[in-house]
Amino acid sequence: MTAGATGTHGLTAKQARVTVAVVVALSVILSLLEMYFDWHAMRDRVQAQMTQMLDTVSGSAVEAAYQLSPDLSTRVVDGLLGYDVVDAAQLKDNFGDRLAERRRAPETETDHGGLAGWLFGDIAHYQRTLVRTVAANGTTEVGRLEVILSPQTVARGFYDRALINAALILLQSLGIVLLVVGIFYAMITRPLVRLAQVVSGVDPGHPGAGLVEMPPGHASDELGQLVGSLNALLDASQRGLDQRDLAEAGLTTLTHDLERRVADRTRELSAASAEIEALNRILKAENVRLGTELDVSRRIQQMVLPTLGELAAIKGLDVAAHMEPASEVGGDYYDILSGADGRVRIGIGDVTGHGLESGVVMLMTQSAVRTLVTCDESAAVRVHDVLNRTLFDNMRRMGNEKNLTLALLDYHPLAQDCGTGAAGHLTVSGQHESVIVVRRGGRLELFDTIDLGLPLGLVDDVTPFIAETTILLDPGDTVILYTDGITEAADSGNQLYGLERLCDVCVAHWRADSTAIKDAVVADVKRHTGDQPLYDDVTLIVLKQG
Amino acid sequence: METVIVGENYSVDWDAATRTAALKGILRLNGLVEYAPIARFLGDAVPAGSMTLDLRGLEFLNSSGIAMLSKLVIEVRNRKSVDLTVLGSKAISWQGKSLINLCKLMPALRMEIA
Repeated sequence: MTAGATGTHGLTAKQARVTVAVVVALSVILSLLEMYFDWHAMRDRVQAQMTQMLDTVSGSAVEAAYQLSPDLSTRVVDGLLGYDVVDAAQLKDNFGDRLAERRRAPETETDHGGLAGWLFGDIAHYQRTLVRTVAANGTTEVGRLEVILSPQTVARGFYDRALINAALILLQSLGIVLLVVGIFYAMITRPLVRLAQVVSGVDPGHPGAGLVEMPPGHASDELGQLVGSLNALLDASQRGLDQRDLAEAGLTTLTHDLERRVADRTRELSAASAEIEALNRILKAENVRLGTELDVSRRIQQMVLPTLGELAAIKGLDVAAHMEPASEVGGDYYDILSGADGRVRIGIGDVTGHGLESGVVMLMTQSAVRTLVTCDESAAVRVHDVLNRTLFDNMRRMGNEKNLTLALLDYHPLAQDCGTGAAGHLTVSGQHESVIVVRRGGRLELFDTIDLGLPLGLVDDVTPFIAETTILLDPGDTVILYTDGITEAADSGNQLYGLERLCDVCVAHWRADSTAIKDAVVADVKRHTGDQPLYDDVTLIVLKQG
Repeated sequence: METVIVGENYSVDWDAATRTAALKGILRLNGLVEYAPIARFLGDAVPAGSMTLDLRGLEFLNSSGIAMLSKLVIEVRNRKSVDLTVLGSKAISWQGKSLINLCKLMPALRMEIA
């Protein structure tokens, strides 16, 4: 209950209003009852008084009537008018003649005239027959006495008493009202107001700090119970708040801990990220280096290959060549060198391994072969021996252990008058893949080179193993040279392309020129491998005797 | 028989009782560097006495692998203390010609191609 609830809306004011209303109503009822009883009593009293008065004067009146004495009658009547309630009196003789009559002068009472008459009008008229006792038991009527009372006079006293009684009752009631309201205020309203003030003053943040004091004398009543319940509620709220605060504090600690851990982890992660970035940079640099190395290897391989112009310039022999480096460049080698009188020297080889070192070995091989060809060295054993020693020693110096298969072919056209009918003469030396020859008409011949040498760079002396074989070529005969990149090209099921299939394609296209045969083989190999990557370089040379 | 080296498509098994090393699967490693573990194992396996190299289960060996075997045979030949037998299969195309080279490198080598 706040200040706004006090005043006319306050509990005390309400209680006072109700009490006053009840008391006033009771007072009115009591006053009316009082007046009613007083009215009855007054009527009785007036009637008794009148009876007594008439008894008192009746002797004199009898005498006056008997004697028919107007003086005596007048005294009797005057005596009656000595009572202020008597308005008029008359004495008559037994003949009905008036002996004396007196009437009070009318008063100017207009106010209570009707009410007084209503209250007391019915008891205003008294009449007594005057009887004289004669002889022993005889009586004789001598006259009559009439008295008329003034209801107004009678009522005046009634009015005065009623007023006083009503005033007293009202005063008494008001006193009781004051007492009741005061006691109610002291016992209930004031502790309640104090309780309300304490409750409204409770800090919502700390409800337990302002427990309500037990009003004195109320420990065992309803107010005390209310205070006890309120305090229990406040205490429970405080406990709840305390627990909440505790939980909040715990949560805050956890949050801080989590933030700290997140920060730590973030630092660790950024450190790791920096490390990864550094590694990435190194890796990128390494990739660039490897990419550069591959690029260099590929260029080395490509730059020493015979040009299309060189191949086209060769007379008597239709030559086509194809080389496709693997994603990791291998060490395939081939060269076609045309000399005087239609002579053509062909080399084809395969260095083990991939990458820059294989490329370098291939380049050395190309240079050495070309050097020997330029020096017009024709003896196969001598050529292979020099090549092997050069490569063997160089690779030892380089610290790598590569070796290569290498076949050298020496072609020269035959004059028509040679008597053999053949148009070309081809010698093969050195160990490499088998030489495929498709004769005019489609007959296939395979020339194994296993017994013509040994991989170069493996041992310091290959001379015991070097041999030569001769192939005579008729017009229309085709010679196919290749590296294992073709025969070992694998499909997704790891099935190798194989020598047999290569031969089949070559035989099937025996009529075609060298370029068409080359293209047919390359297309068929690609069909075989599909989308598989090239594991090894693919090299193909097709020679067709014109 | 225990597997001493295993790769994506290949394995090298060793049978101590018969002193046989068996190469199986498809060997397509890049250069002698990647073949070094196999070469080291085969070189160390038998310092002296008899040794068998079983290649019948080796479906494919690329040129670097053939070079590795060639070098092993040369090393064994130079050691002069190992009696080497190589088991091959006619059914596997690469072996026909490549294994002949091993004989050329080491005439004392016993080659059994079935």
